[in-house]
Amino acid sequence: MSVPIGAYLALSVALLVLGLIGVMRRRNPLMLLLSVELMLNAGNVALIGFSRQWDDPSGQVFALVVMVVAAAEVVIGLGLTVSVFRSRTNLDVDELSSMRG
Amino acid sequence: MGEQVLFTVAAIGTLGFGVGVVFFKDAFRAAVSLIGTLLSVALLFVALLAPFAAAIQVIVYAGAIVVMFLFVIAYLGDRGALPGPDRLDRWQVVGWLGLIGLGLFGAVAILDSTAGPAQPAPSTTDVGSPTSIGDAFLSSHLLAFEATSLVLLVAAVGAVILAKGAVQGEGGR
Amino acid sequence: MATALAWIVLVVPLISGVVLAGWPKEPPHAVTRVLGVGSILVAFILSAVVFAGLVGNAADDRSFVSSAFEWISIGGVKVDLAILVDPLSVMMMLIITGVGFLIHLYSVEYMEHDPDYRRFFACMNLFVFAMLLLVLAANFFFLIVGWAFVGLASYLLIGFWYQRPAAVAAAKKAFVINVIGDVGLVLGAFLILRTLGTLDYGEAFARAPEVGAQSGTALAICLLLFVGAAAKSAQVPLHTWLPDAMEGPTPVSALIHAATMVTAGVYLIVRCHAFFDISWLAGDIVAFVGAITLLLAATVALQQVDIKRVLAWSTVSQVGYMVMAVGLGAYASGMFMLMAHAFYKAALFLAAGIIIHALGDEQSLDRMGGLRKPLRVAFFGMAAGCLAIAGIPGFAGFFAKDDVLSSALTYGGFGVFCWVVGVVGAFLTALYMFRLLFRAFFGPEPAGGYNPRPHPSRWWMAVPVVILGILSIVGGWLQVPFGWRELDTWLAPVLGTGAEIVEPTHGAEVITIIVSVVAALGGIALAWWLFGADPDRRLRLARVAAGPRRVMDDAWEFDRAYDDLFVEPGRDVADVMATKVEPAGPQGLITGTVAVMRGAARVVSASQSGMVRAYAFWMVLGISLAGIIIALVVAGAS
Repeated sequence: MSVPIGAYLALSVALLVLGLIGVMRRRNPLMLLLSVELMLNAGNVALIGFSRQWDDPSGQVFALVVMVVAAAEVVIGLGLTVSVFRSRTNLDVDELSSMRG
Repeated sequence: MGEQVLFTVAAIGTLGFGVGVVFFKDAFRAAVSLIGTLLSVALLFVALLAPFAAAIQVIVYAGAIVVMFLFVIAYLGDRGALPGPDRLDRWQVVGWLGLIGLGLFGAVAILDSTAGPAQPAPSTTDVGSPTSIGDAFLSSHLLAFEATSLVLLVAAVGAVILAKGAVQGEGGR
Repeated sequence: MATALAWIVLVVPLISGVVLAGWPKEPPHAVTRVLGVGSILVAFILSAVVFAGLVGNAADDRSFVSSAFEWISIGGVKVDLAILVDPLSVMMMLIITGVGFLIHLYSVEYMEHDPDYRRFFACMNLFVFAMLLLVLAANFFFLIVGWAFVGLASYLLIGFWYQRPAAVAAAKKAFVINVIGDVGLVLGAFLILRTLGTLDYGEAFARAPEVGAQSGTALAICLLLFVGAAAKSAQVPLHTWLPDAMEGPTPVSALIHAATMVTAGVYLIVRCHAFFDISWLAGDIVAFVGAITLLLAATVALQQVDIKRVLAWSTVSQVGYMVMAVGLGAYASGMFMLMAHAFYKAALFLAAGIIIHALGDEQSLDRMGGLRKPLRVAFFGMAAGCLAIAGIPGFAGFFAKDDVLSSALTYGGFGVFCWVVGVVGAFLTALYMFRLLFRAFFGPEPAGGYNPRPHPSRWWMAVPVVILGILSIVGGWLQVPFGWRELDTWLAPVLGTGAEIVEPTHGAEVITIIVSVVAALGGIALAWWLFGADPDRRLRLARVAAGPRRVMDDAWEFDRAYDDLFVEPGRDVADVMATKVEPAGPQGLITGTVAVMRGAARVVSASQSGMVRAYAFWMVLGISLAGIIIALVVAGAS
């Protein structure tokens, strides 16, 4: 008796919501990035779950692509964070509102 | 039976460490907690018969990405948020509404998936092996593969430029 | 050959005008003279060559069309950039370039001290080009182009001294009234296009009878064309711009507002005689308007004190004779009068210009007198012009006016009415012209004398006046009663020999000669009694018939009537529009739109808070809504 796909999806949704809560609640840019990683992993879980269900490697291929994108995103995100916040006393994304309309 | 045990352990780990990531006040602890989540997700991948993805998950995520996080956290040090109350309180409701909607959507999707037609039996073919993934990457998903390499290239160049700007900025100060 | 030269005639003034206008700065006067006057001289010489060439041809081989290229070809209508060289257009070319050259020559001295020397000659050359285009055009399209260009040149030259508000106002007035005429002409051309499907002269005139003799369409075409003609030729009720046009420099008045442009309407009617031939009602209306105009303008001329305005009203009156003649079908007589008028009216204007120049821009007859001795050339030109215009036997005006009047008498019926009006007009013409002559050149000098003394002109101005004076004397011998009718013969290929063409009978000529000479001599005698013999008599008689004279002085109140009828109501409507309708309607719409946009922008810009997490909130909401929609769609599909 294998675990049904629904269970993996439920876990995936829970992880995604957790990441969203992090994005919404935390003001530290690094915490934002960490939460984004959570959400990406939630997506990966769903992708590989589907790959297992349909017996198709495409889902795993997508998951790997997502990982690559995540790596790129982290590189740029962290680079930006460092260059923006190096000279600021507070670590808070709300400081970055100079593009306000 | 083995899959169920593995899934249970991994699910508990994923969600527990995930809560830690979101709710630890200290960024360092949150980052370490993220390692736990990622490793648990790697376990899930193993449970899903995707060993290659699990290995990459450990190497790339836990090994490389989180290490970078830790570097940056250490570099920027322990700085607080802006003083005063959160200026976004009045918008929170929008987000919560969205979350509820998303949860509902997820629930519907899950129910739909379980109520759907009978799942095909898990095949014994080795879809998670590096061979089949490499095969898929270089045949039917070649465009995605190339696009990924381009994204990585751009990210690398961007990182270099950001770093160069940082060096000049510091030198000029 | 003839057409090639005609092209050159057409283009030379244009080129010199463009060169003058495009000269980077004010060129030396010598350059302006050579270009401005030389180009017209070249045009005149070539016109004369064309004329000589046509004379050498047989009478039925004097009409040529030359097409440069196809300009427009739409839906079966083809318009070529083409010129028509025939006896009529060559005659107009000779008048335009000949009189034009003399007046250009005159302007060399007259405008000498004007800082805008170059602009003057550029505009004058443009005018000559436009007028040549008007008369040479081989279809209605280019007739309209030339027509409008002539109006433009007239506008530029009336408003030449743009520092004077009166000149600017006069230019605007002339332009507006000319545009009324343009609209009539354009509509007339459209009607021809609609009825006959062509704008080409040759085809349109040949097929004119297809419109239907005495039909409503024919009448409409003629009357629309006549609206154009009346506006250009200053016929009642579109005549009010011409006296005001005297704000322009005197050479302009002589060339445009006396000799050439105002006769364009006469030319138009003669050119389009094929249409007027098939609608006697239109012709009678034209003749009636001409008769009214000649009488009305003559009475107004009696009262004018400004020397140029006397001549302007006299022009209106004389053009009235021409219009009356062509309306009655005496086309050759009308053209004869046009030519004679070009000579003697140019002479009169240029002589008046000498006076004005000599007296330092003085134009009032009240401050003139006794100029006979200091300004001999002007006196010669003026006297020759006056004798000619009054119709003294032997002078150009006599033959022309006699031709017109005897044609009217021959026409019979309605023509008799025109004849009576014409004879009265002849009497008034003699009276007002000799009033001008006696008051300016005879009698004592005005109180206080002249300061500075009037100086005689140099040869630039003297020669054209003398030549035009001589032409006023001899120019009429082309058509001599009981003798020869050279002009009729010359124009016959164009006008045809249809029954509609009126040629005077001998009986009518005898009666006309006797009556009109008596009328002219009577007018001169009255003028001498009133103004010449005893200069004080006019002051003693100042109170006689003061009321009617005031009305005449105000030009029969046309300007006031137009003010009351059109200008004031228009201004009132504009006022209401500006103060009531505009703030509520369009302006309200605009401010309302602005307010809505500003409000919307405020809302939208509030959402652009710059807070990354706020965007995240909205994004989450958006994703969940998208998810719900997807779920619904999937549910609906399954």
